[in-house]
Amino acid sequence: MPKISKIDLAAASIVFAVLAAIPLFGVTTYTIGVLTVCVCFAIWAASWDFMSGLTGRENFGHSLFIGIGGYTAGFLNVEFGFDPWWSLPAAALTAGVSAILIGFPTLRLRGPYFALAMLSASTVMQYLVIIFSQVTGGQDGLNGIFPILDSQRDYYWLTLFFLLVTLMVLKALALSPWGTILRAIRGDEATCQAAGINVTFYKIAALVISAVFAGLGGALYAHYQLQVGPDLFAVILSINIIIMVYVGGMGSIYGAVGGALLLNILTESLRAFSEYRLWIYTLLLMLILFFLPNGLIAPAWTRIRDRLARPREKKRQAIA
Amino acid sequence: MIEILVYGAVISAIYAMLAVGFTLIFGVARILNLAHGAFYALGAYTVYALTANLHVPLLVAAAIAVVGVGLFGVAVERVLVRPLRRSQLAVLMITLSVGLMVEQVLLLTFGSEARNVPSMVEGAYEILGADISAQRLLALAASIVILAGLWLFMQHTRLGSAILAISQDAEAARYMGIPSDRIYSIVMGISAGIAAAAGVLVAPFQTVIPSMGLLPLVKAFSIVIVGGLGSIPGSILGALLLGYTETLIAFEVSIEWSQIVSVAAVLLTLVLRPAGLLGKRAAF
Repeated sequence: MPKISKIDLAAASIVFAVLAAIPLFGVTTYTIGVLTVCVCFAIWAASWDFMSGLTGRENFGHSLFIGIGGYTAGFLNVEFGFDPWWSLPAAALTAGVSAILIGFPTLRLRGPYFALAMLSASTVMQYLVIIFSQVTGGQDGLNGIFPILDSQRDYYWLTLFFLLVTLMVLKALALSPWGTILRAIRGDEATCQAAGINVTFYKIAALVISAVFAGLGGALYAHYQLQVGPDLFAVILSINIIIMVYVGGMGSIYGAVGGALLLNILTESLRAFSEYRLWIYTLLLMLILFFLPNGLIAPAWTRIRDRLARPREKKRQAIA
Repeated sequence: MIEILVYGAVISAIYAMLAVGFTLIFGVARILNLAHGAFYALGAYTVYALTANLHVPLLVAAAIAVVGVGLFGVAVERVLVRPLRRSQLAVLMITLSVGLMVEQVLLLTFGSEARNVPSMVEGAYEILGADISAQRLLALAASIVILAGLWLFMQHTRLGSAILAISQDAEAARYMGIPSDRIYSIVMGISAGIAAAAGVLVAPFQTVIPSMGLLPLVKAFSIVIVGGLGSIPGSILGALLLGYTETLIAFEVSIEWSQIVSVAAVLLTLVLRPAGLLGKRAAF
């Protein structure tokens, strides 16, 4: 895996600058709201990709951590009247702790079984939330969560800032020896174990990191919606995120962000066909599985980067 | 008490049908089929569409549903799963997208409201003071017949032996001249057909909605984990355990709590005995 080049940094800066500048051009609050949701999905997709894209263990229950983050924000805010700012660290913490608890029994499982065990875990949480309706509000969820910032625009910038933090931390970890070990576990777990690597520790740590950012994203989402409901735990949310990462390209992290942005914008522009949304997603997933197994965005960017880098390399060779 | 016994038996039988198909296609072809719940829903909806819209007699409709979904399963295996067999994760994703696709098509065609399917047999029987609808008894009897038939087929036919051979050692079976690709298609067809039969049998007393397949999928998976992956007797045992526990809790505590039993059972099994009750290999 190559290190981040200057071109990567430049492209990332441009994308973030564009995203940050959009609200300055007199767009409606509705558009800003759509963008905020986009950014939340980007955080979730990136955090999913960190765990599942690197170690190859597909997590079909990512919504578990999103829901736990969202409900933590809801409880602190609505039930206990904490300041909304507390939600963010608290959500990250509870999601991380839940990842440790769920990771121990489930991460011993091989790929597909881990996927289904996580799917079951998120489903059971959804049911528990509905069962304990006196505490959780049942199907209606928790309403009346306070906004963190009064201005929608400022809040959008805050979520964008957290996306940037998420990306930098995850990318830094992925490029460090840590990331190399995680990718090695994807390649051959038994060999890693034989080489003296504590595989269980790394897998659980990766799940915890992934959960922390998912929980953070869940809290950010809760403070945008000002409401949380059991649908935050729904399997379909996890699946949407997985499709976004597949579109972006697994294991690259920035691809996941691109996939989340692309699919959310696509959804928004196909608003007239909203009932066909999932149908379109599914069709897209099938096409990608067959024709673009590496995804769309990450390979496309690699190609563009190579084309941009080539003239300079030629010049360098000429000088040499 | 009698109600718990009979209702538990009916639910266990339905679960057993779902879990046996799920574990069969996994044990033979190593396909973890996330479209299994969709086959179940498709069975129920085919009967609904044929009886309510086209006025086909119920039994004919049931037969068409089972065979049709079986053929659909074969097509899915042929066209979508086979080219991606190299990667287990790709297989997982493609069966998932088949499941989602079926659910969406059902939603767009029939809408989200619950549909009613007429009972195959009317009336109710009184067994030791408990009223049990005839449809539930029919579901119980039919699933026992289907499972027994499957067992006889596996033990006493050439094709059955070939399927067992592949599930024990696919490579060795191929060297013996068993056409593994064709067997995978056949097993997928059988598995889909049994799931559809379960859907057909429960349709009269269950809510028929497009998303009705998700929960049975989770249940089938749970049963298969509890019973041991790839083990047919294990999944029948698991189905009985889970079916009775759920019914007991639904009667004594509440319906909502009964939904959690299966998932709790999975987590317990994974912690205590990852190979499952009758499984030979651990699930990791």
